[in-house]
Amino acid sequence: MPALEWSSVSKRYGARQALADVSFELPEGACLGLLGPNGAGKTTALRLALGQTRADAGRVRVHGIEPEDPASRAGVGWLPERLALPARARIRGFLRLHARLAGFYGRRADEEVDAVLATTGLVERAGDRLGGLSKGLAQRLGFAQALLGAPRLLLLDEPTSGLDPIGVRDARDWILAARRRGASVLVSSHQLSEVERTCDRLVILRDGRIAASGRIDEIVRAGESLEDAFVRLVGREAASA
Amino acid sequence: MSGRPLAQFFALAAEAVRDAVRRRIAVALAALSLLSLVGVDSCTSCGAGTFVVDGQPVDVTRLLGWTGMVLYGLLALWTVALAGALASDHLEQTLADGSALLALARPVGRGTFALARLAGALAVSFGTGAVLLAGTALFLRTRYALPLGPAAFAAASAALSAVAVGALAMTASLVLPRLATIALVFVGVAGIAFANVAGLAGAELSPLWSALHRFGPPIGSGLALAVSSWTGRELPAPPALVLARLALWATFAPALLTVVFRRIDLGRAGP
Repeated sequence: MPALEWSSVSKRYGARQALADVSFELPEGACLGLLGPNGAGKTTALRLALGQTRADAGRVRVHGIEPEDPASRAGVGWLPERLALPARARIRGFLRLHARLAGFYGRRADEEVDAVLATTGLVERAGDRLGGLSKGLAQRLGFAQALLGAPRLLLLDEPTSGLDPIGVRDARDWILAARRRGASVLVSSHQLSEVERTCDRLVILRDGRIAASGRIDEIVRAGESLEDAFVRLVGREAASA
Repeated sequence: MSGRPLAQFFALAAEAVRDAVRRRIAVALAALSLLSLVGVDSCTSCGAGTFVVDGQPVDVTRLLGWTGMVLYGLLALWTVALAGALASDHLEQTLADGSALLALARPVGRGTFALARLAGALAVSFGTGAVLLAGTALFLRTRYALPLGPAAFAAASAALSAVAVGALAMTASLVLPRLATIALVFVGVAGIAFANVAGLAGAELSPLWSALHRFGPPIGSGLALAVSSWTGRELPAPPALVLARLALWATFAPALLTVVFRRIDLGRAGP
């Protein structure tokens, strides 16, 4: 059973067709890069998987469960493109709340929080208020909450946004570590080089349709970089949109 | 709810209470409520004596029951409206800033999340209302010798009304702008209370007002019935029926909130 499955999915927002008859899947234990220019439908695909919106047609399944069922989100970690942080809360309190929502209580919740604080290098900042965090620290915190409980499915929307080069390398390590323990990972990003380093499969969307999908070596031609392939598939105009 | 949903509910409700306390509108409304208590202290400070009306002396103590009823009733209505005002953006705000999406990316049901946000708004309203109504009841007891029982019954009635109004306001906030929702809360609470009081007083009501009085949340009826004994006057409505209607609305409104929130498309929510 695939970790994630979109089958003939269409979604329209008013006059805009966000996704049109899109089918692809994320096999268990794989890492899939979801690429496309702005407005191609990447975020809509993620939102459908998280049950935030419903498909007009087709079906979406998360570990075989429909996304409207909260059980589909057990063992799922999501890093949104823009993280919502309550300014007055503190890092540890914020993570503890999310540990509880993920199903960890008491000492186990504290253990999970300590583990992700250590992984993401936030131990010394655990008492900081969220309102004063830099963009890079906020992104680290985003990763920390997504990694709580060692999820078996990670959904990452622009995971390296706001990170400095060291942070980018750390993020790559966290993704690769998740893969090593068997987690399935979906990375939606504009950072083609990072996707190339962490993922083995790609889906490239353009105007809500699949422009290409498959293993990276199937999509990128000999002598071509992923960037070249991307521009070839989505068109220079769309790529710079 | 049981097991995990219940634990999630309490974690989210505690967060919702913290959110409510942090908001400037909550602080402003709580301050206004405490100022009202100072006003109550002032306006209940006149003691026994006599007024002369048309040359006839009127014992002030005969007016105290009516004064107590109007004063306590208005403050209870204020508490109900406060619950609606606080609830009017307590869920919608989390959709606008994206925190709802983050919580709902966990195995958390939408109904659990919405009810936790409602509980957070109501907790602050109940806390403020309890201080306001308990303080007023004590002033009325010590200065006017009015019994506390009717005040407790009225407070319970106000609590049920607050649940209904808060949940309806939260539901409305999912489809209406914030200012429109707040206006709807204040106009709605005042309008229904007016319809109830006019209906209980035997006034002839237009079909709309009559429908509000007979089928709407009996916000004013519950309060009036509770404290009418202070005036020594019987009102033409069976208290058990009014209480049942209040309980029904306090159940129906949160249920409606969860149904609407489950169906709403969050595809465009977030910062």
